[in-house]
Amino acid sequence: MLQLLADGLIVGSVIALGAVGLTLTYSILRFANFGQGEFMTWGAYLAVSALSFVLAMTGGGVMEPIGPFSFGWQLIAAMIMAATLTALLALLLDWLLFRRLRHGNAITLVIASFGAALALRNLVQFLWGTLPEYYTREIQISLRLVPRDVMGGLRITPDQMLVIAMTMIVVIGLHLLLTRTTLGRAMRATALNPALARVAGVDVNAVVRATWIIGAALAAIAGVFAGIVGQIRPMLGFDLLLPLFAAAILGGIGSVWGAVLGGFIVGLAESFSVPIFGAEYRAATAFLVLIAILLLRPTGLFGEKP
Amino acid sequence: MEFLPVLSYATFFLVFVGIFAVMALGLNLQWGFCGLFNVGVAGFVAVGAYTSALLTGPPEPGRFGGFGVPILLGWIGAMAISGIAAFIVGAAALRLREDYLAITTFGIAVVIQLVALNAEALTGGPFGIQSIPKPFFELLGSGLAWNLAYLGIVACVLGLVWWALERLVASPWGRVLRAIREDEMAAASLGKRASAFRLQSFVLGCMVMGLGGALYAHFVGYIAPEDFLPILTFQIWAMLIVGGSGNNAGAVAGALIVWAIWSVSGGLLREVLPQAEQARGAALQVVLIGVLIAAILVARPRGLLGERASVSRHAKDQS
Amino acid sequence: MIPALEFNAIEGGYEPGLPILRGASLTVMPGEIVALLGPNGAGKSTMVKAAAGLVPIWVGTVRLNGRDITATPAHRMVHEGLGFVPQTENVFTNLSVLENLLLAAALVPKARRGSLDRVFALFPDLDRLRKLAAGRLSGGQRQMLAVARALIASPSVLMLDEPSAGLSPKLVGVVFERLRAVRDAGVTILLVEQNVKAALAIADRAAVLVEGRERLVGRATDLADDRRLASLYLGGGLEEA
Repeated sequence: MLQLLADGLIVGSVIALGAVGLTLTYSILRFANFGQGEFMTWGAYLAVSALSFVLAMTGGGVMEPIGPFSFGWQLIAAMIMAATLTALLALLLDWLLFRRLRHGNAITLVIASFGAALALRNLVQFLWGTLPEYYTREIQISLRLVPRDVMGGLRITPDQMLVIAMTMIVVIGLHLLLTRTTLGRAMRATALNPALARVAGVDVNAVVRATWIIGAALAAIAGVFAGIVGQIRPMLGFDLLLPLFAAAILGGIGSVWGAVLGGFIVGLAESFSVPIFGAEYRAATAFLVLIAILLLRPTGLFGEKP
Repeated sequence: MEFLPVLSYATFFLVFVGIFAVMALGLNLQWGFCGLFNVGVAGFVAVGAYTSALLTGPPEPGRFGGFGVPILLGWIGAMAISGIAAFIVGAAALRLREDYLAITTFGIAVVIQLVALNAEALTGGPFGIQSIPKPFFELLGSGLAWNLAYLGIVACVLGLVWWALERLVASPWGRVLRAIREDEMAAASLGKRASAFRLQSFVLGCMVMGLGGALYAHFVGYIAPEDFLPILTFQIWAMLIVGGSGNNAGAVAGALIVWAIWSVSGGLLREVLPQAEQARGAALQVVLIGVLIAAILVARPRGLLGERASVSRHAKDQS
Repeated sequence: MIPALEFNAIEGGYEPGLPILRGASLTVMPGEIVALLGPNGAGKSTMVKAAAGLVPIWVGTVRLNGRDITATPAHRMVHEGLGFVPQTENVFTNLSVLENLLLAAALVPKARRGSLDRVFALFPDLDRLRKLAAGRLSGGQRQMLAVARALIASPSVLMLDEPSAGLSPKLVGVVFERLRAVRDAGVTILLVEQNVKAALAIADRAAVLVEGRERLVGRATDLADDRRLASLYLGGGLEEA
């Protein structure tokens, strides 16, 4: 049981981080971005290439792991590079496509994002191939934290614990940004009422750009985390899309902490569904969560009225 | 230029255009006429295809189905089951705002795909269903003659669906539908009846998509989960967007244009790229198509034959 | 003396081909309170929204202290010194009172940035409620916050769209008395109002807008006694005096 809990939290961390980015773009840009999953995939893959680049530049071919973890500082550098590049990708996509559709039908943006996601997913396959990638070949030994006789025991790797911890740190950082900085307040104001925000002096276009940057960077980091605890493959983001939506809607669109909670709930639901339905149907659990929340409380746990 | 290979290719091409056109007409009923955003097209197509295949095909040990039912009944069954699936989904999801409907229908398609892939006892799992019977096969065998005959069948079905939808849209029922699409306020004043109309539109549209799936299954003779991926949903949407939504002629024209672009680009890439790169080429093809569709969306949002929104025209007359 | 705010025969509207403003002109001198009156649908709201950059202006100009701001984007207006308090949804309900004010202050350059203390001195209730989410405020308190939010950017001209809407007569009195204090502190005020009596009571001058054009302009005291005012509201034309 504990093991399922831990597995749920690990998966939940990745979902939570991706969902946070999704809920921000959804509430400020006002459309459901089907491309959020692909930002995660791109983040993971760009980090693969960035890692090779960093390793090549620093002379060593091998990444020395830091402490008990499977990776070294080079992956951290690669992650930062990947997040930056993914943010640029998002800005490019907005400039080429979304910006030009903002004045029309809101649903056109969703269709466009669905198509863009398809293109991005296939571009990944074209550029990096279809075989799974890994950041490191280091085998991590999982630590036995809790003995078998206590609720089934718990084994967890240092990497997995780090991912959970880092997710919380990133979210706390985002929370501080949104509540203590002018940009954060401007973003929240724009999410509520863009016209009033303009009147108050907010450059809404700048807020839009900041939103894309933050949303995509968070997705990229989530993608790297997913790659650390699992494998990097072209369908990484797409397979997480439904859980992402479920988490964001469960938490209430626009609520960062809601998305985090939603992410963990979905992760736990998926994890606990495995002994019941089998691992193949994990993804269907996210759908059940989604349906349940839409039927019972469409505004989500912490959502404001639309 | 050799005549027969060209005719053969053209027939093959046109059959697919016809099948996609049927699916696009179904989507048009939902989106073009009722403003319902269905991102789960592939799922309902799959339901239709699998239903007909399971009803009409030969039995397979360890797997449900194989009742050897006549093909026509299989197609009717496909429409019925797609309709029922649509009813269940629609009853739950249609009262949601349109972007939530999009996400929900997307989720449905993902779940259907998951079931198709994993429920081997029902769907044959990753191997899918083989030996789906082809109409008039005993008479014509395989080859050009049969393809031409199937093209005839598809053309008839397309014509029938077109005729039925045009009649439906011109009828009082259709007028209410357009009113609901154009004006949420009017829709709200209709209250419960508006949601009944939406549900009917959704179910009918999905039935048509299911029929398209069945047409596909009986042409190719073999279906697998990977035939019904999100890319199919995107293709049908692209056809509707390019041709102009709200417009049955646009749906068919869009099917022709988009499939032409798809086939030509696919063929070109196959020619240009070496064998080892074919998989990457296929991926690139999707990217290029996606870019093309996006460009059209930006340049001509109403599509090539788009319907002018009747509301704003009215408003202009008042100034 | 350069007018604080000047509308020169502006034509505009929300949708091209559907003009709401049809050649409206208005001059507001520094230090004045001018009331913009008129029947429903006359375009009063549209006029101030157009000045604020929220509604397109096709013909004509708007000048702020002599500067042409017709093409200035809406979010730059606070930099120019033009404040606007919309009629509804005029505070950020998802931010606290304090955050509403801090945000507005941070969005203008230091030179323009008013002090929180001065704003709270004008609206002591808001000081008491500073941590409360703006959505939890009462109607009157929200109106105060909306005005405070505009004021903290130190505008030279403040436009308000029906500040009395939805308020009890007592609260209307309180709000209008604050507006007087605001004017006395040096801010020029353009006030769109449905409540003719209250508006004329504090205004120096007034203009009546009918079908997108100004029809009657003059001193508030004169207009209060003018029978033509009533007839304009009731849809009759202006009988020639």
